[in-house]
Amino acid sequence: MALIAIIDDDPDIIDASSLVLKSKGHSIISASNPDDGYKIVKEQKPDLIILDVMMDEPDDGFYLAQKFRKEGINTPILMYTSVSKATGLEFEKNEMVPVDDFVEKPISPDELIQKVENLLKKEGK
Amino acid sequence: MNEKYKILIVDDEKGLRIGTQRLLEDEGYDVVAVDCGEDGIRAGTEQDFDIAIIDLKMPDYDGLEVLKRIKNSRPNTICFIATAFASYDTAIQSTRLGAFGYIPKPFTPEEFLYQIEQGINQRNLILESERLKKEREENLLELASEKSRLNAIIKSISDGVLVINKNGELAYYNYAALKFLDLHEIKIGDKILPLLNKNITELVEKIFSSETILLKSYATQIELKPNNELIVEAAATPIPHPDGSLAGVVIVLSNITEFKKIELIKSQFVSMVAHELKAPLAAVQGYLNILADEKINLPKEKRQDYLTRSIVRLKSLSDLVNDLLDISRMELKTKHREIEDININEIIKNTLQLFEIELKKKEIQVEFKTEENIPTIKADYNEIQRLITNLISNAIKYNKEKGKIIINVSSSTNYLQIKIADTGIGMKPEEKAKLFNEFFRAKNEKTRGISGTGLGLSIVKKIIDSYYGKIDVDSEFDKGTTFTINLPINIK
Repeated sequence: MALIAIIDDDPDIIDASSLVLKSKGHSIISASNPDDGYKIVKEQKPDLIILDVMMDEPDDGFYLAQKFRKEGINTPILMYTSVSKATGLEFEKNEMVPVDDFVEKPISPDELIQKVENLLKKEGK
Repeated sequence: MNEKYKILIVDDEKGLRIGTQRLLEDEGYDVVAVDCGEDGIRAGTEQDFDIAIIDLKMPDYDGLEVLKRIKNSRPNTICFIATAFASYDTAIQSTRLGAFGYIPKPFTPEEFLYQIEQGINQRNLILESERLKKEREENLLELASEKSRLNAIIKSISDGVLVINKNGELAYYNYAALKFLDLHEIKIGDKILPLLNKNITELVEKIFSSETILLKSYATQIELKPNNELIVEAAATPIPHPDGSLAGVVIVLSNITEFKKIELIKSQFVSMVAHELKAPLAAVQGYLNILADEKINLPKEKRQDYLTRSIVRLKSLSDLVNDLLDISRMELKTKHREIEDININEIIKNTLQLFEIELKKKEIQVEFKTEENIPTIKADYNEIQRLITNLISNAIKYNKEKGKIIINVSSSTNYLQIKIADTGIGMKPEEKAKLFNEFFRAKNEKTRGISGTGLGLSIVKKIIDSYYGKIDVDSEFDKGTTFTINLPINIK
C-alpha cells in the first residue's frame, strides 16, 4: 500500500489519522511543523501528503503546498482545514491551487479513507 | 420687455396731478394718480410701482410718512419727493428715508422727464441685481460667501463637506474636504464632478438621475490612499429647494481608517478564536470516531490512551473558554474599573499560596524579596491579581523539577517594579518575539507536556498597557526567563 506523510501541529490529529490509515494497510510518516514536513517529503518521497492548513501561523500549510508545487513536487496533497474550504486562503490571480482536495475538521474516518484512496487511485497506486 | 413702466403720482394739487399724468402717459408710461396720502399709501403698498412721485405737503399725511410706508413694503420702488417748499433739510430727510430724488416745484417738463429717466435706470439696475442674486441663491453659489457662524463651524470641522449644485458646479467646500480629496486649485463655481474620485461621482449621479426627490442618502467607503492608509466614508444627500425640486447635493466625508483597522483586528481575532476552539473539538471527535468504529480493532491501552487524551483536550478547551470570557470581561471592565489602593506584596503572597500544591509537586523553591514601605498603587484588584497569577503560573509550568522562582519587588519615585525570574526552559529569540501574541505558545521538544491557552501573557500585556506600565522579558533557552514589570505609582 502507500506511504503517506501527515504534517500537522496537533499530535492528537496525527495519532488519530495515522491509526485510521494504518488500519487500511498504509505506512505513515509525520511531522509537526512546516520545516520538518518539508524535510521528510524531500527525503522519503511519500505517495500522498496530508497537510494542515494552519500550524504556527495562519496559512502555513498552504504556503508549504505552494512551495512543493514550485519545486516540481507533484505528489497529491490533501489539506485539513478547520474552517470551510477556501475561507482565509488567498490566491494570486491565475495561480494554480496547489492542493488536490480538502477535508474539513473534525475528520470522519470514512471521509478520510475515501479521499485518500481517490487521490492514490489517480496517481495509479 | 414691452411692459410699460408703472408710475404712481401722489399729490393733492389737481392741476399738477393731471398735468404730470398726461405728460408721463404721452411718454409711454402707465400712470396711477391719487389725491391724498392715504390713497397713496394704499396704492403704493398694494402694487410694486417702478416709480412713485410724492408731494411733500398734503392735508392728511406728510409726504415723508407716505415715502416711509411705501419704501417699507416696496423697497425697490424708486421714490421722488416733489415740493414747492424745497429746503436742504427736507431734501436731506427724504434722502435718509430712501427717496431717490427730490424735485422742487415748479419744474419744466424736460427737467421732470429727465429725473424720471434716471429713476427708471436705477430701477432697472436694482431689478437686474435682484435677479442675479436670486439666481446665485438658487444655484447655491451664495453659500460660500455667507458670513454666518454656521459657516465658520463647518469650515473648521474634521469631516469634509462639499456642496455641488444641480449644474455640477462647486457651491461650497471646507478645508477637510480639500485635504481628503487632494484638491488644490479649485474655486466656487468650478465644474467639480470630473475632478472627484469616481466613487463619489457615482453617488452624486445617482441622486441627480433619480426620478423623484426622495430624501435618500447614498454612502460608500472609499480607499483614498493605497494599503488602507486612508479610508473615508462618503455620504451624499440631496438638497431640496423649498418647492421640492433638486437644488444640489451635499457630500460629507468622514475618516474611518482607525475604525477599519480595529474591525480588521477584531475579525482576525475572531478567526483565530474559532480555529483554537475547533482544534480540541476536532481532536476529541477524531478519537471518538475511532473508538466508535467497529471496523477498527483497537488494543485496550490504545482505547484508554485515547479516552485520557480526549479528557485532557476538553479541559484545555474549557480553560480557553474561561480565558476568553476573562478577556471579554476585561474589555468591558476598563470602563467600570474599581480602583482601590493595592498592596502588591499581599497579592503576591496570596497567589503563591494558591499555587502551593503545584509548587510542592515540582519541588520548586520560592524566594520573595521586597522593600520596606512599598507604596500602594491605585488599580483594580482583580486585574492586578490576574496579572500576578498568570506570571507565577507560567513560572511554575515552564520551570524544571527542583527549580527556583525569585520574586523581587522594589520601587523608585515614579514606578513600582516587580521581577519574576524562573530557572525554567527559557525561550529562543523567535519565540520571545511572539511571546505576547494572542494564542502563541512555544512549541519545541521541551514544551510537549505543557498545556495552556496561549492567552495568559496577552492578558498580562493588556493589563499592563492599560495602566501605562511596561513589561520586559529576558530569557536564555534552557536556562530561564525573567519578567520585569514596571507600574506607574501615581495612576490617575
